[in-house]
Amino acid sequence: MTAQLAFDQYHQAVYSFAYRLTQREDIAEDITQECFLALIRAPHRFDPARASMKVFLFAIARNLALKHYRDERPGDPLEESRDIAVRDPSQTLEISSAVAAAVAQLAELQQEALILFEYEGMTLEEIAQIVGADVGTVKSRLHRARERLRRSLVEYRKAGNTHAPR
Amino acid sequence: MHPDERDELTEQELDALLPGWKTPAAPARLRTSLFGAAETKWWRMSIRIPVPVAALLLVLLAVAMWHWMKPEIEHDNGGELQPVTELRPRIIRSASVQN
Repeated sequence: MTAQLAFDQYHQAVYSFAYRLTQREDIAEDITQECFLALIRAPHRFDPARASMKVFLFAIARNLALKHYRDERPGDPLEESRDIAVRDPSQTLEISSAVAAAVAQLAELQQEALILFEYEGMTLEEIAQIVGADVGTVKSRLHRARERLRRSLVEYRKAGNTHAPR
Repeated sequence: MHPDERDELTEQELDALLPGWKTPAAPARLRTSLFGAAETKWWRMSIRIPVPVAALLLVLLAVAMWHWMKPEIEHDNGGELQPVTELRPRIIRSASVQN
């Protein structure tokens, strides 16, 4: 697969993933660009026997996002969730912003597991390859992430009920 | 307990909420910045030449132009020296000289 074909197929997914991790359009754009530049400059680094192109690109994007996270918050552990901000009940966020804010409160490693599973449709095995952990660890992170979101988004129950169940 | 009184969402309620988080579309300039060179029209292409090579080319061009532009000296005989075919010496004597 050429770099251009990979770009056509995956650039939106890589950008969305980077955007959800960083919640910044400019950083997501930089990460997506760096990700495909890495493929253009060193295509031999992609080994189809080891992982799919999607997994390869997401692993690069994930490392770049983590680097950004460490640059932004030096010393902040990746596995600890941040405190849930107490919201004024009268100040109801839109669903999109509310979910984004709730996910941002998760530990970085829980965030990436949740985003890859829920939004990018990755399997647990693929996520394990991307984050370099075993499937059990990914499953546990995903479970903790969802558990926390179930509590932090409770005030949006009714709004959620307006969506058609999947 | 009434479902709305629980202090956390059910799995189904969370599944219904999560798709509500939308992301913007990737900017179109990404493609240009990555593959712009490959898609550039031929009349917009450029080449890089090292300064010494460019200077040498300029000098060669100037020499070629000078050779091409310089006026040529016209010779009736093609520019070659020829032996004198007819020699008629004419002696002019001075009026004060006595023979």
